[in-house]
Amino acid sequence: MKHLKMIFLVLIGAILLSACATGATSTSWPGLSADSTNAYLADGNSVYAVRLSDGVKVWQYPDKAGTPKFFAAPVLTPDGQLLIASAGTDRAFLSLDPATGKEKWAAPYTGAQNIWIASPLVVGDMIYAANNDGTLYVLKLATGEFQWSLPISGSLWGAPVSNGKLVFVTSLDHFLYAIDPQSRKVAWKADLGGSIPGSPAVSADGSTLYIGGFTKKVTAINAADGAIRWTAETKDWVWDAPALDGDTVYAADISGYIYSLGAANGKNAWPELQPDGPITASPLVLSDGTVVFVTESGLAYAFDRASGKAWGVGTNIGGKIYTTPVVSGELILIAPLGADSLLVALNKGGNIAWKFTGK
Amino acid sequence: MWDILLINPFTNALLWIYDAIGRNYGVAIILFTILIRLITWPLNGQQLKGAKVMQDLQSDKEWLDIQKKYAKDKEKLAQEQMRIYKERGINPFASCLPTLIQFPIIIGLYQSITRALATTPLGLLQLARGIYPWFLNTSVLIPLNSRFLWMDLGRPEGIPFPAGFTVSFLPFGFPTLAIIVAITTYLQTKLTMPPPATGNPNDQSAAMSSMMSIYMPLLLGYFALNFASGLAVYFVTSNVLGIVQYAMMGRVNWRNLLPGGKKPASPVKLVKKK
Repeated sequence: MKHLKMIFLVLIGAILLSACATGATSTSWPGLSADSTNAYLADGNSVYAVRLSDGVKVWQYPDKAGTPKFFAAPVLTPDGQLLIASAGTDRAFLSLDPATGKEKWAAPYTGAQNIWIASPLVVGDMIYAANNDGTLYVLKLATGEFQWSLPISGSLWGAPVSNGKLVFVTSLDHFLYAIDPQSRKVAWKADLGGSIPGSPAVSADGSTLYIGGFTKKVTAINAADGAIRWTAETKDWVWDAPALDGDTVYAADISGYIYSLGAANGKNAWPELQPDGPITASPLVLSDGTVVFVTESGLAYAFDRASGKAWGVGTNIGGKIYTTPVVSGELILIAPLGADSLLVALNKGGNIAWKFTGK
Repeated sequence: MWDILLINPFTNALLWIYDAIGRNYGVAIILFTILIRLITWPLNGQQLKGAKVMQDLQSDKEWLDIQKKYAKDKEKLAQEQMRIYKERGINPFASCLPTLIQFPIIIGLYQSITRALATTPLGLLQLARGIYPWFLNTSVLIPLNSRFLWMDLGRPEGIPFPAGFTVSFLPFGFPTLAIIVAITTYLQTKLTMPPPATGNPNDQSAAMSSMMSIYMPLLLGYFALNFASGLAVYFVTSNVLGIVQYAMMGRVNWRNLLPGGKKPASPVKLVKKK
């Protein structure tokens, strides 16, 4: 009886302590991507495929709850794979069939030393995957076999990007690294003076990178040598990648201010705009030139290029929104955190088309 | 409110120490744990004294007599116990109150260490929000250098197994730190365990302490195995400091480490208050 009492007390203690410990260490916001038929949502213990036509779940991976945790946005590859990466203790990096959710490779890659926060990049027949252990891993796209790795530094949270010649990787160690896949070496690195949790945006011609970070600036960088072309001051940190639309760079900061910067000179074309609540997500540029911003307050706003609000009031999604929204066809997909719904689809007028609750 | 009153001040203090000592988060955790122990030292002392008085009372003749005499009359027993407390100037809550006050401080310490590790974007956002911009330069301070000795304090510790050798339930390798946590927890519980009271074979607090020495090392060892090793560094520091504090107060019972070394405490004569 005494032992039972003690076990009960220890269990209560365990629950209390684990509740304390998990708050900051093992949760984060979801990752989202989409093709023309499904949305793919990496949200904690599962990755979901959700049909775009009606918001119904197509599959869920894994079938049973387990140790994986998924925060990195799933990546669709040109050869029809869906790459996902775990932030759980398994540290698994694997490939699924987007249609069925079944594993495609013989085995997941588990050679990284830490969790996966960043989405991978696919160039040609190679996968470039940046890990929280500060290393860039290169795997064979067809099989997931390890090819080579390059230890960089710091924690790598931003998805690598490429201009066709170099692969660019950001790090919390304050540097932007340009990696030459041919020589497998760092071609150049640029110290931006603060951590960079998001990716850079690459200009259409591949010559310029636009990048935010914890320095309260958006910086334009020459992709060939890392030289700074211009910097534009922001009110606060710019968490994720700016969005490019022709000659304009859109960005938002975590105090909730939004910016429309000239790609050539970094000059802000908009007056001081602060919709409602902090913004960590990248802006989403729609084909009609409308730019969508989502805020931590759980609202989505659209602005037209001339700075007028496209949607009179923000659309209330609920929860907190940190994840970059995705567009597919006529739908804008938004993944809130801590809301009743895991995924909300808006039409281009800002009205809710459907909600996906995970069931 | 919890964040504003406790977690944010603790996190800022922890990061200030980290910055001041040359950005070593492991040393910062150790120093911060020592600092909090020093601040709560008087409370601990009060708790120990209160516990000692209550322990001594368990072997007091008058106390044992009333237990026997009023074993079937709980109301009368309670009245008599209250009379003894009053006559001898004992506050039965003297050992509980300091513990209750310390509890939120310990939880706050634990949470601030976890928060500062910020291993995910959401964790980092929460951390950034809690830092006072007038006190610390967050842009420069982040990311924390989480390397300490052989460990990355942001992830569970383990010394990698030789290539080709895996143990499914030990994904991070051989758990050295978890073992150190379990051993120091065991030592602390054993060394600070009061001897059973003479003449009271049913001394419940002694039985409880004995069971604690089994379950607590297992519990904290499990946490050290699965959570960020920064927490394990805190557990080890806290355990060692606990033993040191008991030793300084002359309350460490070294005999408890020897097989069959448990000896009942000699009865202490409690002086009646005049």
